[in-house]
Order: sequence, then C-alpha cells, then structure tokens
Amino acid sequence: MQLHDWCFNRLSRQLMNIILFCLMVLLMVTPCHAASHQKDTLVIGKISHNPKKHYQYLKPMAKYVAERMTDLGIEKIKIRLAKSKEHLADLLQQGEVDWVTETPVAAAYLNEVAGAEILLRKWKKGVAQYHTVFFSLSGQGIDRLEDLKGRVIALEDPASTSAFYAPANALIQRGLKLVRLDSARDEPPANAVGFVFSREEINIATLVHKGVVDAGAFSSDDWVKDDHLPKKYREDFEIFHRTPDMVRALEIVRQDLDPKIRQRLSEILLDANANPAAAPVLRAYQRTAKFDQLTEDQKQSIYNLRNMIKAVDQAVVW
Amino acid sequence: MVKRNLLILILLLPCSLFAGSTQMNSSSAASRDDNFSSTRGGLEIVSSDGEFSATLGGRLLLDAAYYDEDKNSLGNGTELRSARLEMEGRIYADIIYELSVDFADGDADMKDAWLAYDAYHPWRFTLGHFKEPFSLEELTSRKHLTFMERALPNALVPGRNMGLGLHWYGEQISVAAGLFGDDYNDDSDDEGDEGWGGSTRLTYAPLATDRSVVHFGVSASHRKLDDEEEYRVDSRPESHLTDIHYLDTGKIKQSRTLTLVGLESAWVYGEASLQGEWIASNLERDDAADIEFSGWYIQASWFPTGESRHYKSQQARFGRVNPLSEQGALELALRYSTLDLNDQDVEGGSSDQLAFAVNWYYKPQLRFMMNYIVVNNDRYADADGDVENEDEPNILQLRAQLDF
Repeated sequence: MQLHDWCFNRLSRQLMNIILFCLMVLLMVTPCHAASHQKDTLVIGKISHNPKKHYQYLKPMAKYVAERMTDLGIEKIKIRLAKSKEHLADLLQQGEVDWVTETPVAAAYLNEVAGAEILLRKWKKGVAQYHTVFFSLSGQGIDRLEDLKGRVIALEDPASTSAFYAPANALIQRGLKLVRLDSARDEPPANAVGFVFSREEINIATLVHKGVVDAGAFSSDDWVKDDHLPKKYREDFEIFHRTPDMVRALEIVRQDLDPKIRQRLSEILLDANANPAAAPVLRAYQRTAKFDQLTEDQKQSIYNLRNMIKAVDQAVVW
Repeated sequence: MVKRNLLILILLLPCSLFAGSTQMNSSSAASRDDNFSSTRGGLEIVSSDGEFSATLGGRLLLDAAYYDEDKNSLGNGTELRSARLEMEGRIYADIIYELSVDFADGDADMKDAWLAYDAYHPWRFTLGHFKEPFSLEELTSRKHLTFMERALPNALVPGRNMGLGLHWYGEQISVAAGLFGDDYNDDSDDEGDEGWGGSTRLTYAPLATDRSVVHFGVSASHRKLDDEEEYRVDSRPESHLTDIHYLDTGKIKQSRTLTLVGLESAWVYGEASLQGEWIASNLERDDAADIEFSGWYIQASWFPTGESRHYKSQQARFGRVNPLSEQGALELALRYSTLDLNDQDVEGGSSDQLAFAVNWYYKPQLRFMMNYIVVNNDRYADADGDVENEDEPNILQLRAQLDF
C-alpha cells in the first residue's frame, strides 16, 4: 500500500508539473502569438459616412486585387471602414489598414499623422483633377472673393475638400476672416465672411437660389451635375471665382507595407486600366476611369495640403 | 517542484495579463466604434468591415377613394393599402437577404423573402420568394410608382413566386433570368403538383445619367400550369379599394401552358418623362384553340418644381424622387392604359382607363398622391357575370405614403 501511495503521489506531482508547465507556456505564448500580425490578409480602408454603400464599391476591388496577389501569400483582402480621419490614421499606424482610397486632404493628413504614402492617382468618377467654383445669383454685385465680406456663403461640411477646405483657404489667403454662423439667416459680422454648412450640394444651390445666402462653393465636378445643381438654377447663377486644380482622389498605402506587396498593388491597379476583366470593378469603385502615377513633386504638393488644413483650422472662427 | 512552478505561474500571470492588455490597447482603434449605426426613420447597423449589416424599415400607405358611380356600387371608403415591415441585410460578406411582410389585410402577407449570393460582382444569384424578372412597372417598387396603382396590363404579369434567379448588369445592359414555382401563398390544401416556369428580362439603356435616360427592355416568360390546369386573370379598375374586378376571365379549364411577352421603354429628359409597356399572353389549352390576351399603357410625367425621375441603372428600374427644395416636389402625370381579356370563347372583358395624377413629394420618404381615373368598360367587363357591364365610373383617390 505504501508503495502504491508513493507511486500515486509521485505521478500526481509529475502530472501537476506538466499541467503547470503547459499553462506557463500557454500564458507566455498566447499574447505573443496574438500580437504577431499574420500577413495573409491585406486591408483596404476608407473614411465612411455611408458604410453600406462604401462596402459595396470596395468589395469587388478587394476581390480583384486579392486574386492577383496569391503568389505573395495574400489570401484575402478585407475592408475596414473608419468613422473619421483620426480613426483611420490610428488604424494605419497600428498596421491594421494597409491601403486607403481617399481624397487629397485626407492623404495629406494621413501622411502627416501616420506617415502614409501616395501610391497612385485615382480618376474618381472619370476625373483626374477638379477645382472649387464660387457662385452667386447673377447681378448681385459679387465679382470677386473680397466682395463676400459682410456676406454669407454656404459650404458642405467640415470634412469636404472642395466644398470646405479649398474655398475656406482661398478666402483666408485674401486676408478675409471666416466666421461660422448657426443659421443661414444669421447676420454675419461686417468685417468677416459668414459661412454655414448645409451638408449636400443641392442644399447649397437651393440656399443661394432662394437668396437665403449670398454665395455657395463646391466642386467643378458637381457644378455640371443636374442632380446637384439643376439646370434652371445654373442658368440663374454666375461663377465669380475658381480655385486652382487639385487631384480628385488617391490610392494611399501604409508607410511600412511590404515593398513587394506595394509594388504588386501598383502594378495591378495600373494594369486594370486596360484589363477588360477590371471594367465592372472600376465602375463599382466610384466609377474610376483609370489609375496613373504622380511625380514626386506632385505628391509633395499634395502632402503640403496639410499646411492648408492647419491654416484653415486655425483661422476659422468656429 | 509544484510550489516552484506555482510561484512562477503566479508571477507570470500579471505579466501575461499585462501583455494581453497591451494587445487590447494596441487594437483599441480597431475595437473602438466598431459598428456604424444610423437612422432615416428606420434603423441601419453595419459592422466596421462591412461584412455584416442589417436594415430595419417599412412603409405605410393610407388610401381613400371616392367613386363617381355609373351602374355599379363600388364602395367609397378608406383602407390601409400597405403596412409593411422590411428587414434586409448582409452576413459573412457574400450573403444578402431580405424579408418583408405586409399586414395591410389584417393577416401576414409574405412579400420578399429571399437570400442571394453576392460574391461574384456584378453577378447575383437569388433564391427564395421574389418578383420574377418581367415588366419595368412591376419591378419598380410601389413606393416609387408615379400612379397609385399599376396600369391594367399588370394583371398579366407573374409577380412574386418561389424560385431561383440570376442577375447581371453591365454599363448599359442588364440581364435577369429565373426558374420559379408557384407563389409562396399558394393553397396548401392543393395536393397536385405546382406549376413552374421561367422568366427573363433584358434591358438596354444607351443613356442613363442623373437626369437623362433612354431605356428599352424585353421580357419573356413561359409557365407550365399546376395540375388543376386552370388559369384565371382578373383586374380591378386602377383602384384597390373597390373589390369589384370588372375584368375577369373566370376559370379557364384545361389550360396547359402560359407564355408571356413584354416590351418596355422609358425616356427621361430633365423634368419630363415618358414610359410605356406592351404585354401579351398566350394560353395553350388541351383540346381547344390557344387564347391570347394583351394590353398596353403609356404615361407622361412632368415635375414643374424641377426634379427628375430617378433611374437605377443596375436594377434597370425607377427609384426614389428627391425634392430639390424644402417645399417638396410637385409631379403631374397622365396615363392611358388598356387591357383586353376577350378572345374566342373567353369573355373576360376589355377596359380603357385614363388617369391623371398629382403627386407632392414633401420629403424623399413622404409623399401625398391624388389620382383621378376615367374608366371605360366594354360589354364583357362584368366581373364574370357578377356586375353590370359597360360600367363607366370615375374615380378620385388619395394616398399618404411614408417609408422608413
């Protein structure tokens, strides 16, 4: 019996040691394993206020690119939608997002905060570049930006490139002060330009047409679209200023993305221009006509938009 | 030894937990604000990777009708034309679904109930209870129709049935085809085999911009009828409140197969639009000559407030009208439609109707409609012998429509 007890105790101790050892290994290894990022998945990200719609246009592109990266060990491309540029910058910094399709203003921000780099230009909705048009009802005596002093302009929303940052910057550069009004019917200060956000282009056009505000500004792309600016409104308007052209949209990548993947992504997107199999994919991808490369100078001028963002954010009285 | 290991374990535990919490912190951006939620009256939730989403919505259509009667009593009154709850969503990236039930008649009437495989854009494979691909007007949601009711020839259209379908669209072309059994709400006591058939629709839109559309389409459908071999078409005037179906073929016995053909066209130029369809059917019988019915309609609409009808090129049908101003959008429309259900020994009746519509889209999801309809029935249009023929009433009907 004693021998049996001895054997039993010894076996129990051995068993306990094995279990404890296994637990130690498990505790040490688990976090390390979880922290290591397996790169069999590439992630495309975008700032989104309409995630259902954005998912539908990103999905065909994700599938198209993934199918052409299998030899690099990429099995899948996932989509990651972020609510703000700050959130997207976090995701890029942490390696949770590898590739982003965005506007030049977002590209400048993501470059500054997360070091993200421009890969290619995207001819979003068939357009390589666009600019902002300032318009008012004809015969209102507004011929130049300086005439807006003491008047009200309608803009889109604080995230818009062509209908906020670019027009606000044009006004600031002329030494005009910008003050946000609570309502379009509020009186602006006599020495400043009052502005209101009206969310959509059609609202901007309607406010101007009804004479509620004195002027509006949005992209040259929207100026010619009847659902954003009905023909009968356009006939009553006149453009009194245009900003310089800027790039319409960009493909951006994480700074430390594997160079092979980065290179392949660029090749796949450039090849899509002439690949019939890519036609429905490009159409879904915000009706992109093609992708092309930018020079380093062009990229730098986009990164320099951060100065415009800062200037606007600092100068505007919110 | 055990004690020593226990000690190491206890020492390691906080480290491990810390490592875990670091991991959590490092992914804080990923877990933060994980889902998107929004509302436009209903409820929409989308996961941050877009692979899961759910939208809960519905519609409420409140009708009233006044009948300027001629020979028959049609029954003035009010009704809930539609009280529908709709749920649609996406699961595991590639599966989408819709489930909608209408409670307007006091019981649950299954509408769309399908799931679809969406992995091969722009192909989509659908399985369930949904509309057969046939007719522009049928495939346009009632929420977005110009008139309160569909035109007379819609009585010939197959509508929703249980089946499987394939849909593809290109830049200007769309193709849809499917195989279908009978309606989900088919009589469950019927022990014979269901009927089955196939439908297909091909559309071509050489012009489809925001405010200019040229659309052509052709549909075809062939169906073997169920074991009872009976076929019946009936139709109310273009008003749902009355129960009188002036046009009624009664049961046509020994009916074997039904073939349908439809042609459709639509033109939008800014505020103005035209739309028309022609639909014809051929009924093959066992020991008698084939029966042929046909009908057509043409409608014109105009927005004096500057809006335009919204064409959805992927689905090749019309969608929501968005008012340009806070006062809303005003639409005026006129439609002529005709359906002839008389052929050989079948005297189902024939009717011509002229409808005038005024629609006020106060908000994108809220509109008020008024239709005035002049009805002209022939001598066979007697609801299969139940009412007086050659009735020529005029109808005034109103609707308040909300969807969310």
